[in-house]
Amino acid sequence: MNPTATQTREITLTVNRQVITIQADPNSPLLFALRNDCQLNGPKYGCGLGECGACSILIDGKTARSCSIPLKAAIGRQITTLEGLSQNGQLHPVQQAFVDAQGAQCGYCLNGMIITTTAWLDHLTERPSEADIRNALKANLCRCGTHLEILDAVRLAVANKFPEADSAATRQPQTNQPQQDQTSTNPLEENSPWNRF
Amino acid sequence: MEPILNRAELMAADNVLLLLRPSNPPLSPAQKASADQRPPEQEVFLAIHGDGRIIALNGHVDLGTGIGTALAQIVAEELYVQPKDVQMILGDTDKAPNQGATIASATIQITAVPLRKAAATARQFLLEQAAARWQCQPDQLITRDGRVGNPTTQQSLSYGELVQGQAIHLQVDEHAALKPVDEYQIVGKSAARKDIPAKATGQFEYVHDVRIPGMLHGRVIRPPYAGRDGGEFIGNSLLGIDRDSIAHIPGIITVEVIGDFIGIVAEREEQADRAARELKVDWKPSPDLPDINDLENAIRNNPTDKTRTLVDEGNIEQALQETHKRLTRTYVWPYHMHGSIGPSCAVADIRNDQVLVWSGTQNPHILRADLAFLLNIDENRIEIIRHQAAGCYGRNCADDVCGDAVLLSRAVGHPVRVQLTREQEHLWEPKGAGQLMEVDGGIAADGRPYAYDFTTSYPSNGAPMLALLLTGVVEAIPAALEMGDRTSIPPYQFDHMRIRVEDMAPMVRAAWMRGVSAMPNTFAHESYIDELAAEAGEDPVAYRLKYLQDERAKELLQNTATRANWQPRTGSEAPGSNRTGNIVKGRGVAYARYIHSKFPGFGAAWAAWIADVEVDQDSGEVNVTRVTVGHDAGLMINPDGVKHQVHGNIVQSTSRVLKEEVTFNEIAVADKEWGSYPILTFPELPEVDVLLAEKPEEPPMGAGESASVPSAAAIANAIYDATGVRMRQPPFTPERVRNALEEAGVRPKLQQPTSNSRKPGWKSWLGGLSAATLGTLAMVSPWRAAIPEITQPLTSPYSAATIARGAEVFAAGDCAVCHTAEGGIRNAGGRPLETPFGTVYSTNLTPDPQTGIGKWSFTAFDRAMRQGISRDGKHLYPVFPYTAYQNISDGDMQALYAYIMSQPAVSQNNPKTELGFPFGMRPLMAGWNTLFQSNTRWQTNPTQTAQWNRGAYLVNGLGHCGACHSPRNLMGAEKTGIAFLAGGEVDGWEAPALNGSSRIPLNWTEPDLYDYLRTGYSEQHGPAAGPMAAVVEEMQQLPDADIQAIAHYLANLDEAAASPSTRSTAPQTTAAPVAATTTAALAAVPATANSSTTMTNPLNDASARMFESACAGCHETRPDWFGVNPNLAVNSNVHSDKADNLIRTILFGIQNPATSELGYMPGFANSMNNGQIANLLRYMRSKFASDKPAWQQLEQTIAHIRANPGSH
Repeated sequence: MNPTATQTREITLTVNRQVITIQADPNSPLLFALRNDCQLNGPKYGCGLGECGACSILIDGKTARSCSIPLKAAIGRQITTLEGLSQNGQLHPVQQAFVDAQGAQCGYCLNGMIITTTAWLDHLTERPSEADIRNALKANLCRCGTHLEILDAVRLAVANKFPEADSAATRQPQTNQPQQDQTSTNPLEENSPWNRF
Repeated sequence: MEPILNRAELMAADNVLLLLRPSNPPLSPAQKASADQRPPEQEVFLAIHGDGRIIALNGHVDLGTGIGTALAQIVAEELYVQPKDVQMILGDTDKAPNQGATIASATIQITAVPLRKAAATARQFLLEQAAARWQCQPDQLITRDGRVGNPTTQQSLSYGELVQGQAIHLQVDEHAALKPVDEYQIVGKSAARKDIPAKATGQFEYVHDVRIPGMLHGRVIRPPYAGRDGGEFIGNSLLGIDRDSIAHIPGIITVEVIGDFIGIVAEREEQADRAARELKVDWKPSPDLPDINDLENAIRNNPTDKTRTLVDEGNIEQALQETHKRLTRTYVWPYHMHGSIGPSCAVADIRNDQVLVWSGTQNPHILRADLAFLLNIDENRIEIIRHQAAGCYGRNCADDVCGDAVLLSRAVGHPVRVQLTREQEHLWEPKGAGQLMEVDGGIAADGRPYAYDFTTSYPSNGAPMLALLLTGVVEAIPAALEMGDRTSIPPYQFDHMRIRVEDMAPMVRAAWMRGVSAMPNTFAHESYIDELAAEAGEDPVAYRLKYLQDERAKELLQNTATRANWQPRTGSEAPGSNRTGNIVKGRGVAYARYIHSKFPGFGAAWAAWIADVEVDQDSGEVNVTRVTVGHDAGLMINPDGVKHQVHGNIVQSTSRVLKEEVTFNEIAVADKEWGSYPILTFPELPEVDVLLAEKPEEPPMGAGESASVPSAAAIANAIYDATGVRMRQPPFTPERVRNALEEAGVRPKLQQPTSNSRKPGWKSWLGGLSAATLGTLAMVSPWRAAIPEITQPLTSPYSAATIARGAEVFAAGDCAVCHTAEGGIRNAGGRPLETPFGTVYSTNLTPDPQTGIGKWSFTAFDRAMRQGISRDGKHLYPVFPYTAYQNISDGDMQALYAYIMSQPAVSQNNPKTELGFPFGMRPLMAGWNTLFQSNTRWQTNPTQTAQWNRGAYLVNGLGHCGACHSPRNLMGAEKTGIAFLAGGEVDGWEAPALNGSSRIPLNWTEPDLYDYLRTGYSEQHGPAAGPMAAVVEEMQQLPDADIQAIAHYLANLDEAAASPSTRSTAPQTTAAPVAATTTAALAAVPATANSSTTMTNPLNDASARMFESACAGCHETRPDWFGVNPNLAVNSNVHSDKADNLIRTILFGIQNPATSELGYMPGFANSMNNGQIANLLRYMRSKFASDKPAWQQLEQTIAHIRANPGSH
């Protein structure tokens, strides 16, 4: 509201374990700095209001919606984006679960789904219920209707974290090995013309 | 990685085998047949390079469905390679063939056919090449894993080796021998999507991620007639822009204005974003829309361009008279949004003769023609580079933003990225059109379907590119498009049938969206046949099976019913018989095949739905508990891909049917964010069971989209089964279902809450100021003497310890809160403070001799602090809390002076405070002081503890809490006595009562107060916001003991003498409750509602859905989320008599919390209108403070606060 509020200054951020210094207005959205100054593709602009979750990042390990958080909030904190989850070429277990369960159609919301699931799982000490899982992603919107595959992915990630739990919780048995050949070798059921899914 | 060559480069390249076909683009749905057709040219479908790379090209694009994976499977199958060896290029205009718009789920069914033939032709050619080299017959050879081999001689050559050294241009053989289906190894087997690993790691490059060296950032400003594209006012409404209004924003390169097109280009995205919000623009008033919220009549009254009779069998007019039972029904379909999660984005680079556009378009070649027209250049100079965008499900703003980007790049001669905002995408995307379906007909005496007279009205066109309309290049003349006929013919045998389509121009911008016109038409067909079955007394599934004409449809429906364990109904069971309390359960069925493209068109997959619902007859809520869907797409290239698309269509269509409906105001689309246009969320998901017919011997059909088509009727039929009430207009929201149940007498009508008028606010506060009082003021000592200026010594005479103490005093006094402007230099003043008397600007508190207080002696400073008199003798306004500061101890005052004078001097002149009469007359303040400045100083109370006394000193003195938290009388003086800390107002914010008179559900305890003051947040009460956030931020510097003392004193306020100053000579202008002993008597803070109705149940309508979509995500306990998640049930502002603080928070958000640990909240001022926010507030009040009276006149209050945002 006040014309003087656009002073650009030098700001130092720690993003994905790297220190970066940029010149920007500390009151501008953190999302723009991550996308334009840090050249990161993970966080996406979706609504600018924190309603959809596409812009999610981790601040000190917690989910934050970078579209509606000012750049200044990141100063002195650890920022992690989708790019920073995988280390040494190994996918983060949650990323791997989303790949295994094919938890994306257009994939624009995928960043928010993975980031939100990651922070949520990190804070869990007990195996969550199905309702807990759905509630965890309640404020993440998907328009393609990938919800069923996304839930499969989250169940898979939950099962990884709580391995003694009943493996039937995952609707489809999946491996966690990165697939060299992207073509599945599982043939379809052959008995009936009506293949059950 | 080798670069992908474009078509011209490929044609000129060596070491390559090309498969070519003359171009033959189909007409765009929005393209007229008379449009100029370009002469055919050779297009490349497949390229096999000498280095072994296989590039396959397809004119359709990936809209988020993973179609690239399926196409690679088809090519790999015919070429005997693995899908990972095939690189798919989709849509780029200088590479891929022109195969028209990516619509109707037709990629596999139609555009993959030449690709498959190209691969088969290539394989045959490679076999012949090898046979010639080895001097044998091609049929002696085999192909495997990208090699041709001779099993007899063990010779083999790779495809690349066979191509090396040649440039072979082959025509695709339309009769090439295709691999037999029963030999398929790859097609028909599920394949993981190729793009997901990159998408899951942030490596994938969407169009939003395109970054070109030297790229600038653009934003557009759209006209107020949001979402309209017909009428003379389009492109003709701009009066002017005020370029000075964004002069304060750095980095602005240009503002481009052409007609009603306005775009801004800046160096940085946030600069463009902010400038687009702050640029002042004057528009002519826009003409009213028809009342689209009454959709049935709006469509009925919309002129028909052409009536097409598609079917006229038998004698329908006579048959209608002969029906045994005649049913005349009207079905209304709402406007829907595609609702892409990512607002559209494009990058354009116009330099020299070349135009490059990076785009997420659905139809690259048509876009190129539009851009050529917009720029008035030959389309061969334009190259569209197609990148994936957010899923679109039809025509969204992907093309529009390309028009914006080329105009802005042309203006600045640099690459420009244009990102539309969420608000712009919501408002302007071509909507899925509203539709009106009218059915007359009935059954014969034996119950068979006898007559069906169906008329469907579809007000839509192809949505011309916005930039063409806004710039006036194309006139905004509404035109109809023949697209209302999809699945317009029901699949059942009627003796007499007439099908008519009313093609009509759009009322608002509309175009195709998933299941275009087929989904509404099927809603009518399948609701109607369900009614006929009920009238005939037959089971809805059996009735359909009896009269369906298509054997494959029957098989699918039968199998789906079996899968869902459908129990036949005879009609003897009354609807609603499956009941638990107020919850009734039901099942519904529907079937459809999506028939698309120009009539009579093509059939895509077959789909059948069985939906299970629970309806709460009290609330009207419909819960879709389970959906069973059968889907027959023939050969499935990638069964997992098909399954995912079917899932997506089930979930999205359930969302559309239960929740979605675009709303309109008088002139435009009203919904600008997800709260006003909510979509289905994870907790609302039904259980889904999908049955995919495996028919590899049948040709592949367009998959997925068909699964959307039966959804609405299946759910409506289930609601009927549950309640006995037919719903004929989605969405089936609680309020719509409640109304239907009430009208049908299933549910008693409820009384609506009545509203009461709001008690006057601060305006009457002023109005009570009497002339007599003014006269009294004017009589008293007008002027005080100036105190001589001094020159500050070069080095401070005060000790470091004194200065350090002064720093704490300064923090306790929150001086910087008011004396620092938003974004300004600390303590240099200039912050505007809104008071009922006008705007007061804070002064420069730094020791600058000219503009600050550098020439002030301690004596002058002390007088100002304690008496409110400036060094030069002028009276200060009591917004400066000298009435509290008089209680500061001498030692603290000295230390404060020492600290301020030790700070850096800042030269800054601030705006002069100019108040209207009589408040502009500073001399009057002398009289004010006589009346109101307390004569008593605060004294230590020996009966209280040291901690209590310390707290009292800080609250009454330095902390000047009463300046905000005590009500003021009509003359702006803080009230005292038991009104002390009973709640006041500051800078437009309500400062709640700190004594026992507040409205909160839980009383403030000492630990609550401590938490709040120390961290800015109390779980029991909420976060500090507005000016209080800045106060807590300042108080960070106070030692813990002082915060504890304040908390202790405030928690025990009611027990002790409320205020040091219980005596006042001031005339009390309201009935002074001097004798009152209970704080309850103080409830009458301003704007207490009269005896309003208290609601008992939370509202359950659009406002509830808005809260769930826009607010609930953050406002629940989430330990894994950054920041606090205030619980609104105990939030002080929700329980207050005034909605003001809540309104301010919703409008402007919390961007400056007390500490950043608390997190931030966005403001919704640009995204919600006053009516929407008022509804949201009504819901929050009904949900979280149901024991409190409803707030009144909310919209006026919101408008007032919007216009008076204050400075916090």
